[in-house]
Amino acid sequence: MIPSSTLLSLAGAFAPVSFSGEMGHPQTNSSSKPRKVFTSFCKKALPLQRHSINSLNLKRRNSLLSFAFGKEANDNSFSDVGEDTDDMYDELLSNYGQVVYKRKDQKPASAEIDDDSESLSFAVELATVASEVKAGDIKVLFVKPLVYWTRFFIIATAFSRPQIDAIGSRIRDRAEKKYGKIPNGDLKPNSWTLLDFGDVVVHLFLPPQRAFYNLEEFYGNATSVELPFENQPPFRNEGAYGFSDDAES
Amino acid sequence: MIQPQTHLNVADNSGARELMCIRVIGASNRRYAHIGDVIVAVIKEAVPNTPLERSEVIRAVIVRTCKELKRDNGMIIRYDDNAAVVIDQEGNPKGTRIFGAIARELRQLNFTKIVSLAPEVL
Repeated sequence: MIPSSTLLSLAGAFAPVSFSGEMGHPQTNSSSKPRKVFTSFCKKALPLQRHSINSLNLKRRNSLLSFAFGKEANDNSFSDVGEDTDDMYDELLSNYGQVVYKRKDQKPASAEIDDDSESLSFAVELATVASEVKAGDIKVLFVKPLVYWTRFFIIATAFSRPQIDAIGSRIRDRAEKKYGKIPNGDLKPNSWTLLDFGDVVVHLFLPPQRAFYNLEEFYGNATSVELPFENQPPFRNEGAYGFSDDAES
Repeated sequence: MIQPQTHLNVADNSGARELMCIRVIGASNRRYAHIGDVIVAVIKEAVPNTPLERSEVIRAVIVRTCKELKRDNGMIIRYDDNAAVVIDQEGNPKGTRIFGAIARELRQLNFTKIVSLAPEVL
């Protein structure tokens, strides 16, 4: 199946919007042009178009219905409808001018940045917890520019199911105690265990599954966050250096 | 509205191409499955030389339906095809990538793994 062949239609509160699979070219049927297209399909496609009709206002619906079932329907009824909507738009334009208004419930940019930094500290904290339980190859990705549904991904490898269980329960405990967040997702240790905290999503993989699903490649455009514990040399190397020093002395 | 005998497309790269629903999982006598529901299905058509074969019985999550999906805010989503993603008993997808747009309702239904592999979430 080809993704671009997937067609779907969304009927919003005001006007029906149809998308092609790529979502690149949304078309809004609000001008008078699509209505003319509608005339030829009206009788046949009326049950299918029910939702889009429902979302229009009552007055227009009546006129559409009369057009659909009346045999002597002519262009007059449609020009009336067109004038009505044009009048409506003219009125709106004269009242508000040709300016795009922001919605009032939107957050200011500073609040957005605050939220980002809050979830960043949360994500780094969870990554630190994972490294305390010796998870391998921990990565924190800032995926907010790529997907709307979350901000950070934490991807980590554990080497056995008991370790996945240990990491998962540690992360759950810390999140609940310190931040009061309870995750959705897997409760039992799984080869791909996922903890969904809303803004932060934790993926714990066994090594074969990590290579199989290869999430880092899929989210390759996401920026990786530097972690505080990354710069410290691993435990084993310190020992090795100690040995070599001893040998030299 | 997916019921037994419904044929579905496969929206992942697991190797199956077409499924037929043989059971809707849920209540004992459940009739229809919608987006986010798990079904038992049989593979009707598969890509050659892949782990999944024809006539194998698998579980799948429905990700797209021709039947409209209504949201509380009045939005209605209707896809062109019925499509499902093959999963194993633990709920991990058998494929590594999902094709096409999927609905965000899957995340609420604890299929965040499928959502995180999808290219587009509506």
